[in-house]
Amino acid sequence: MIDTHKLQDLTTEFWETATQCQRFCFAARAREYQVEAIEQLEKLKIKTTDLKAKMIAAQEEDSANQLLSIEEMINALAHELKMWVAFKDDDPHTAWTELVEAQSSVRWAMKAHQIADHLAPYVEYLYALEKLLFPPQIFMSAGAIVKRSTCSICGMEYGDCEHVAGRAYMGQICARVIEEADLQETSVVPEPANKHCRILAISDEGGTRDLMTWRLIPEKLSDQGPEDIVRQHFLKRDV
Amino acid sequence: MEITKFDFVNVDERARSLGCNIPTNLALLPRNFEVAEFKENLLHESSAATIRVLFRNNNIIETPLELKGEKFPHISEKAFVEWIGPTIFVSSALLSQNPHILSLALGVISNYLTDFFKGVPGVGKVKLDVVVETKKKTCKKIHYEGPVSGLEKLAEVVQEVVAGD
Repeated sequence: MIDTHKLQDLTTEFWETATQCQRFCFAARAREYQVEAIEQLEKLKIKTTDLKAKMIAAQEEDSANQLLSIEEMINALAHELKMWVAFKDDDPHTAWTELVEAQSSVRWAMKAHQIADHLAPYVEYLYALEKLLFPPQIFMSAGAIVKRSTCSICGMEYGDCEHVAGRAYMGQICARVIEEADLQETSVVPEPANKHCRILAISDEGGTRDLMTWRLIPEKLSDQGPEDIVRQHFLKRDV
Repeated sequence: MEITKFDFVNVDERARSLGCNIPTNLALLPRNFEVAEFKENLLHESSAATIRVLFRNNNIIETPLELKGEKFPHISEKAFVEWIGPTIFVSSALLSQNPHILSLALGVISNYLTDFFKGVPGVGKVKLDVVVETKKKTCKKIHYEGPVSGLEKLAEVVQEVVAGD
């Protein structure tokens, strides 16, 4: 038997921690406080994951999904803070990665449980940060013919079970796992599903430039050619 | 919101010529159903499998094109703020037996999409085609492009098309 007060207490602790940490989600805030806030969120995430495991063991689906949503809200805030830290470390590529992860996390939080239904303004805020803090990105998207995919919840062929991709089941978001596919094409798209798939560098007579910082990429790295740089990033993030 | 009407191939004849099951009630049509040379070339939209699960979970019975145990591959092209639905075919027999079936099916899709677009900035865009068989056995395709909230209007337009033929 699970003590329901534990869920209530953790939810209260989350709202209090989130309120405190949000104070540091600004460029002007000191780096050390932002790092401290990230550590605080990571500790809370461990507690949340632990309680979620207990809820799953007790087959308390709604509570497990609520805790999944809290985990994702913690992730979203931590990623946003990491974005601000990365800017201070002169690392805009990492800052981009963290922002995209924050956007994904808030999306999963909202899908997992209605406890996160109020986050629509935060979604818009993160989207505004993308447009205000970063230069326009060139995104790529892959088109494939999928021959076989399975359900991440039960392992059956996707579509043969009752699970729906994107919905939460017992503290887990259902995903469609592509098992067999033929890649058809890659194309440049304005609004990709995966914002990690982007062109990192361009070459002209002046050399190879980092599209984020506009700095020239040292010869050793640029020798790989921008296609290789793109491919490496693409493979790392999209498979 | 944009709703456009087109003529469509006779689904019964086309299914027969491709060697598929003949859909007698409601079915999901592959994206290239009108033009595919062979059955082996047929490709579903990536959303087709999810819609099938939702229909099954809501007791909406499909008479699929696929033979028992057969699976058509699907295309995977993902965009961030857009959802492309499968083409939904509704036979005249089903529409006369159960005139509300399409509204019910679109309601199920609409509920799903409300969750699907959670966490997406702005208003998510839906693209969905409905093919209806008229009493004269001709088929019409109604193409919808717009927000989730406009899907109610699509059901009304389909009823107008069926009634007007």
